[in-house]
Amino acid sequence: MSTLSSTADETAAVGPRTTLTGLPARIDRGPRGSRGGRRTGGRRIGSHVFLVILAIYFVVPVWWLFVAATKDTAGLFGSPAFWFDGRFALFDNVAALFQYQGGLYWRWLGNSFVYAFAGGIGATALSVLAGYGFAKYAFRGRGAVFSVILGSVMVPLTALVIPTFMLLSQYGIINTPWAVILPSLLSPFGVYLMRVSAQDAVPDEMLEAARIDGASELRIFFQIALPLLRPAIVTVLLLSVVGTWNNFFLPLAMLSDPQLLPVTVGLNRWTALSNAGAGGEQVWNLITSGAFISVLPLLLSFLFLQRYWQGGLAVGSIR
Amino acid sequence: MKSKILAASGIVAIAAAALTGCSAGAQQAACTNTVVHPDAKQVSVWAWYPAFQDIADQFNNTHEDVQVCWTNAGQGNDEYTKFSTAIEAGSGAPDVIMLESEVLSSFSIRNALVDLTQYGANDVKADYTAGAWKDVSSGAAVYAIPVDGGPMGMLYRKDILDRYGIPVPTTWDEFKSAAQALKNAGAPGVLADFPTNGRAYTQALFAQAGSTPFEFDNASPAEIGIHVDDAGSKKVLSYWNDLVAQGLVATDDAFTADYNTKLVDGSYAIYVAAAWGPGYLSGLSDADSGAEWRAAPVPQWDAANPVQINWGGSTFAVTSQAKDKAAAATVAKEIFGTEEAWKIGIEKAALFPQWKPILESDYFRDLEYPFFGGQQINKDVFLRAAAGYTGFTFSPFQNYAYDQLTEQVYAMSQGQKTSDQALGDLQASLEQYATEQGFTLK
Amino acid sequence: MTTRTVAEPRTASTSPRRRGATLSSRRQRWGWLFVTPFLIVFALFLVFPLVYAFGMSLFTTTLATGTAFTGAANYLKAFTDPLFLGGMGRVLLYAVIMIPAQLLVALAAALVLDTLATWLAKLTRLLIFAPYAIPVVIGALMWSFLYSPRFGPAATLFDFVGLATPDFLAPDTIFGSLVNVVTWQWAGYYMVVIYAALRSIDPAVYEAARIDGANGWQTAMHIKVPMISSSMVMVVMFALIGTLQFFTEPVVLRSVAQGAIDAAYTPNMYAFSLAFSYSQFNYASAIAFSLGILVFVGSYLFLFLTRKQSGLK
Repeated sequence: MSTLSSTADETAAVGPRTTLTGLPARIDRGPRGSRGGRRTGGRRIGSHVFLVILAIYFVVPVWWLFVAATKDTAGLFGSPAFWFDGRFALFDNVAALFQYQGGLYWRWLGNSFVYAFAGGIGATALSVLAGYGFAKYAFRGRGAVFSVILGSVMVPLTALVIPTFMLLSQYGIINTPWAVILPSLLSPFGVYLMRVSAQDAVPDEMLEAARIDGASELRIFFQIALPLLRPAIVTVLLLSVVGTWNNFFLPLAMLSDPQLLPVTVGLNRWTALSNAGAGGEQVWNLITSGAFISVLPLLLSFLFLQRYWQGGLAVGSIR
Repeated sequence: MKSKILAASGIVAIAAAALTGCSAGAQQAACTNTVVHPDAKQVSVWAWYPAFQDIADQFNNTHEDVQVCWTNAGQGNDEYTKFSTAIEAGSGAPDVIMLESEVLSSFSIRNALVDLTQYGANDVKADYTAGAWKDVSSGAAVYAIPVDGGPMGMLYRKDILDRYGIPVPTTWDEFKSAAQALKNAGAPGVLADFPTNGRAYTQALFAQAGSTPFEFDNASPAEIGIHVDDAGSKKVLSYWNDLVAQGLVATDDAFTADYNTKLVDGSYAIYVAAAWGPGYLSGLSDADSGAEWRAAPVPQWDAANPVQINWGGSTFAVTSQAKDKAAAATVAKEIFGTEEAWKIGIEKAALFPQWKPILESDYFRDLEYPFFGGQQINKDVFLRAAAGYTGFTFSPFQNYAYDQLTEQVYAMSQGQKTSDQALGDLQASLEQYATEQGFTLK
Repeated sequence: MTTRTVAEPRTASTSPRRRGATLSSRRQRWGWLFVTPFLIVFALFLVFPLVYAFGMSLFTTTLATGTAFTGAANYLKAFTDPLFLGGMGRVLLYAVIMIPAQLLVALAAALVLDTLATWLAKLTRLLIFAPYAIPVVIGALMWSFLYSPRFGPAATLFDFVGLATPDFLAPDTIFGSLVNVVTWQWAGYYMVVIYAALRSIDPAVYEAARIDGANGWQTAMHIKVPMISSSMVMVVMFALIGTLQFFTEPVVLRSVAQGAIDAAYTPNMYAFSLAFSYSQFNYASAIAFSLGILVFVGSYLFLFLTRKQSGLK
């Protein structure tokens, strides 16, 4: 069965090459750096300028969001986009978020947390088990089932919404948190990542040795495999939590009670409210400050968990 | 590592338990308002009116045998999407649902709405204007009880018109001259906006010139008459295309943040509006500080024979998934059937009533609107508009029809086709759609 | 019994192992056991709904006449539907332009970041990845404000430079505007994947290159890029699938650009409009499945064409 994982193994296993194809056989020594590939002098400035441009490009909208969150609605429409208004209204906006519709915003934020963690942890658990099973056990039908799982990434969401709605309706869990959490437990990419890292990080000899020593499969899994898989688990956990947190379409379709909405759908509702004609209400200041606060948890966790996602993403990408 | 797994599963378990606890009997207990008499019959209601909580409370406090359990399931199309899905799935719909009159036939054709004549709808017929009642009827059946309406008038910036010495237009010819005069005077804004996504607004303008685009009766649901390119529509669209081509009006999309600001900052001197327009305007931000708004009747094609039109308006319908249809019908009939409820609706939600007892009351007629400098806009404009409105028939695929209309009008405004061509193409596409959907064209 | 090195993991079935009948069936059981929890959820929330959706696509419900079994008629209709085909052509165009754009940005950024170790590099790495933390809906909402002729900074910026402000939401500019939104949202994610791949290259390779006289550019082009080609193939693969299913960004921007983005702008949007705006659930299912078929075909075609780079058999 073909896997996406084979090539890098082969290249890594071959070892350093001493000649490179296509390279002119010059004796001219390039500038010496203490580590191959580091540029010096003018190139360095160019690279830095490039990085600064990139950094600005990626941060500009986030900066806009922060500035917008500090303005009230009149200020939003009246003052220039990238700098602050006369009035620093961030705290007023936050206070308004507590008052508007009975502090519904914070309920939405709480819902997002619950869905993201329940869904994320659940998805990770299932992915770990499945990935390990695919990697370490040669059972009949493994290849076919794995291909089907990977292939499911290609299924357009729109095909699934109505039938999932009907299914969940039949089970009586439509318009409950379960309607969002249960479908979020599926992470085909997570299974793929776990399988690949189980293949690489958990040596078969260790498992064999443990089996010979008489350990049960479950014990082997918990005490040998899991510790070795930790970086990958954190990555999958991060990806699943982020994915469920950012999920929009699923909760939009499955939930109608405003108390159950996650913050993405809630803010969308407020946007519709602000754009509406009859029966509308202008709450742009709440939307911008709400959006800003809602991205803070993820942004901050990215900052503090850098080494996990930077290291962990390596697992899936290079093999 | 095992302990970590256990800890994690513990967290999940606790979270799950908390959620289940919160959602126990979710569909029953998830009322945003308070249920005063818990042992009475509960009727679930979906509505997005502002200040509806007060109205629901009002009902619950005055009815011992029926209680309202209200949720805001989204605004407009968001709510319709959920309703549509619930219909398809066979469950999940509320007992009573707020529906704009333009989508009633889209749902009645799917047998999703109950004919209220069997539940005493005709008892309250006399309480509503003729136009409003026609909008909720299809032949002899009545599928909803009217709530609010959008009879149309013209809101204008007195300060801008005065500044440039432009008289307030009373006919569409005068409207065109006013637009020209404004442009000649070098004003920074234009007279008005003609949004390509006007949808119901555009259709109302066509109706004013006598267009009846659709013939449909839910009693014979397989037949439909489509005449979107009739003389009335052609006349009106050609008029507006002319204004657009000469740059006398803008073509900004309606109901966006940009548009909302332009309405109040002087970019448009006139806003041809529905009766809910005043409430809408006063809620918008970044308004001109020197703005003076007034209301006048909508311009006419023929001053001697004025035609009144309507834009929007919502109703309460009883869904076929309602468990107790009689109780649901009671809610639909009575929730906006009292003066107290309407005082809330008018003052807090800026709704325009279709309920005659309040519509024709001195209170409503003499109501002064500070936003309009104290003008009694109902007396001056909207009462006559509401009384003169004779109703409209919508198609059972109105969403599709509106999307097509938007596309065609947009193409026209971009100069890609003439107004007649746009309407011709619209007619063709709707006829094709209707045939595909199994209708026989009348 | 064979021993295997970590560097070359092989599927267990190809290595001769001690095969006791009980041992292998035990393995089978445990294999299935580990996989079953996931498979249950998979069956419940993917397979069953899919089968049901497929069933729905074989029927036709018309507003006037009701439901009837029509077999493949919906699919025939889909593949001759100008709206579907037009939308398909459009997303293919997006794929051809957007994916190289994202890849270029991601690759360039990753290569530069790989060679620098300054605080600026670390900061940039974080900032580039930041958009991934922002839900697509909120990101698109932010950009709809930034693109607004009135509230966005465009008017100020362009006036400053003395150029006419373009309308970002007009039919001829909406393409570029959407490409920008998606690149902003996703390039960081791809960059991190590529960067991680670069980080895993054995530094001894660079030493060898340096000895051979390669400069930075040559090292990048001739060593780094080929060695991470399998990661790049994976990145492009996911980007391709995502782009063919383009949905959220055009839907959110549609609210401010109703003329430029119509209800059938992408096939996924078409399926959505059919189901939720026009209540044509059966045809919507057929469209969604047709899109799925094309995505499937496209993905396999792509994998086939890049089999040398990705090492697939």
